[in-house]
Amino acid sequence: MDAAPLLRTEGLSRYFGGVKALSELTFAVRKGFIQAVIGPNGAGKTTLFNVISGVFPQTSGKVFFQEEEITGLPTHVIARRGLTRTFQNLRLFSEMTVLENIMVGMHLQSRGGFLASAFRLPWVLREEKRIREESLGWLDFVEMTQYANIPAASLPFGKQRILELARGLALKPSLLMLDEPAAGLNIRETEELAALILRIRDNGITVLLVEHDMDLVMGISDHVTVVDQGIKIADGDPETVRNDERVLKAYLGEE
Amino acid sequence: MGTPYGGFGVFALFLLFLPLAVTNDYYLNILIFIGIHSIIAMGLDLLMGYTGQISLGHAAFFGLGGYISGILTAKWGWTALAGLPFAILGVGLIAWIIGVPTLKLHGHYLAMATLGFGMIVFIFFNELVPLTGGPSGLTGIEGVSVLGFAFDSDLKYYYLVASALLLSLLLSINIVRSRVGRALRAIHGSEVASSVLGVNVARFKVAIFVLSAVYAALAGWLYAHYITFLSPSSFGFLFSVKLVTMVVIGSLGSIWGGIFGAALLTSLPEFLFVFEKYETTVFGLILILVMIFMPRGLLRGIEDMVLRVLESRVKGEGSKG
Amino acid sequence: MSLDQQILQYLITGVTVGSIYALIGMGFNIIYNSTEIINFAQGEFVMLGGLFTVTGIRVLHLPLPFAALMAVMAVALIAILFDVVAIRPLKDASSITLIIITIGASIFLRGIASILWGKEPYPIPAFSGEDPIPFFGAVIQPQSLWVMGITVLIVLGLRQFFNRTIIGKAMLASAFQPKAARLVGIDTRFMTLISFGLSGFVGAAAGIVIAPISMAQYDIGIMIGLKGFCAAIIGGLGNFWGVVLGGVALGVLESLGAGLISSGYKDAIAFGILLIMLFFRPQGILGKGKGDRV
Repeated sequence: MDAAPLLRTEGLSRYFGGVKALSELTFAVRKGFIQAVIGPNGAGKTTLFNVISGVFPQTSGKVFFQEEEITGLPTHVIARRGLTRTFQNLRLFSEMTVLENIMVGMHLQSRGGFLASAFRLPWVLREEKRIREESLGWLDFVEMTQYANIPAASLPFGKQRILELARGLALKPSLLMLDEPAAGLNIRETEELAALILRIRDNGITVLLVEHDMDLVMGISDHVTVVDQGIKIADGDPETVRNDERVLKAYLGEE
Repeated sequence: MGTPYGGFGVFALFLLFLPLAVTNDYYLNILIFIGIHSIIAMGLDLLMGYTGQISLGHAAFFGLGGYISGILTAKWGWTALAGLPFAILGVGLIAWIIGVPTLKLHGHYLAMATLGFGMIVFIFFNELVPLTGGPSGLTGIEGVSVLGFAFDSDLKYYYLVASALLLSLLLSINIVRSRVGRALRAIHGSEVASSVLGVNVARFKVAIFVLSAVYAALAGWLYAHYITFLSPSSFGFLFSVKLVTMVVIGSLGSIWGGIFGAALLTSLPEFLFVFEKYETTVFGLILILVMIFMPRGLLRGIEDMVLRVLESRVKGEGSKG
Repeated sequence: MSLDQQILQYLITGVTVGSIYALIGMGFNIIYNSTEIINFAQGEFVMLGGLFTVTGIRVLHLPLPFAALMAVMAVALIAILFDVVAIRPLKDASSITLIIITIGASIFLRGIASILWGKEPYPIPAFSGEDPIPFFGAVIQPQSLWVMGITVLIVLGLRQFFNRTIIGKAMLASAFQPKAARLVGIDTRFMTLISFGLSGFVGAAAGIVIAPISMAQYDIGIMIGLKGFCAAIIGGLGNFWGVVLGGVALGVLESLGAGLISSGYKDAIAFGILLIMLFFRPQGILGKGKGDRV
């Protein structure tokens, strides 16, 4: 097993005017782990995701992925390196079908460009067939094959969340970042999600998730990082973190 | 989407035999213009309907395609055929140069940037008199001839335009149904989500902008060598608006929408010729009404209406229709 | 005229024209601030202001001030009607749909104008005569002074309106935070209505005051509307002082360019500046994201 972490940040900061959304945040994600980032509302967790994935620039600090610096790289380049994410507010391609959404996830697994596609060259047609088959495979993996051809917007909410997750899987990432994947899910759906995340980890994909649902976090995480007001206040295995004084104060203090 | 190639085949046959139904050279003339406008509209639809961008300056690319080839033939004696690759490459290059900074913008800012560009090109058409002939126009443009065969009648030119239209249509269908088409539609759906999945959003947006400009350039080439005369007034803001209208009214994001919209808006003035004074007013009114009542465009609007009628039939009694 | 005097002359023209651009741009800002819509029909409000005044003078035989008042009211009414009929039903439509609707309205209004008034230009008498006033070797047309003066009046009046009156402040509130505004009982739809009316008023005023110089005609709206919009973008879309700055800057640069370089490309200067602003500083000179509103 790799001693070097798959993802790590070094003194990462992000200020919005006067607000310090992230403050000198340093943490790491080990390969093959399921790691959670938790913290009270407004703690900066989604900002952390946004900065790591290149959606926002950092104000200072660095991000390393597979020990190569990715700070400030454009989002699609970071994706090419094997890092992708889902969104708290769901950003499905609502006008496209469920299957098509997954097929977009396979964008980096294919090469057909404008000219080759316009003239329907044989290798592009073969590639299309492969993309379609593999995408169906991913739908099968998340048990949503029956929804393949319906518009993504028509899916029930719980399935939409799973779809966005599956779309990220299709990229065959080394690290999959999930931003509040359980938000809005009922208990049964959350349990299914937990099982799915475990299966994803067992397939060799490292998972980093931001979550509010404590049962989910404590149940499946190998490692937990706690953030409050942009600062890391705890970092360790679930049991230790759960009993950490600072963590309790951060959560209880806000009520 | 069904089988678009089936539809394509039917359409090709339709175009092949259409002249038989046309009694009068004047109508053939209109069909040629519909064909030319359809090519621009298809390209613009790829940009607007599929990728979700907007251009209020596409008349500029249409004009540039026409003027580049027109000037090469009228002033330097080139053949029309030789002018074509230069028109296409020239417009492609210009579109790429202006596209890179422009497609970084969104919404109104993007609309205004394309509008500004269109206006600047229009002013240059008017002012570069030694090159373009200025407001009085450029005359003496060659007709098209390939290997000695001259497209010197309306009927022959109709088939030239129809072939160009079918080729553009086929390429559009292929692109839309491919990985590229999915990437474009994904960009329309969510730029952030697309980039997180590895789609180089900026590159695709510029690429489709260039492609749509090239379609317009091809149409401009066909136009210039048909009329053999170019005047800047054909390539101003109003024509850019008309192009956008064709696409939007036809139906954004539906391959046939551009052709439908082009056919409608090109033939409309013919129906209104008696009321020429009212043409602008009616045009504006149509725009407003369609946007209010059928914002997804006429093709989709009609499709929706038909579906609703069918649904209510299926539901039988107890439905409110 | 020496070069200095020529430049002074261009500056005078530039400030005059720039004032008009500022007024028109103000109209764009008022509507943009309350609805986030760019009203492409703004230029037609300008056009109609001039043409209605012509009708007031020639057909109704009203003295100029009354004809102007009538024109301004008529255009404000048309603007309000436009809001109710075309904009309100489509508040949630995509920005492309809204752009097209306002373009459609602009074309429609122009068409109606060409039917009612024909295509010829109509002069309006200058407000206080045409004797040029000497000014350091250049001359100022009295009408230019009217243009600048009325612009200053309207600008200051609007400033007072938005900062001191309850309705004005309510409009700002509902532009900044529509939900919060509704919670304290402000009727945001009514605010939008007023913003259209105000915008029509300002546009018409611009049209009336410039008509003695450049004539009232059915198609003056397009170019002048676009340039007013450029002024707004240059200063920062939605920004009050920005549009004044942008308008004057645009007018002066355009006038200097036309005089010193070439007059054929005059309009290209405006659009060139627009492109440069959009590419390098889309938030405008004074804009800072969603900062300073009208």
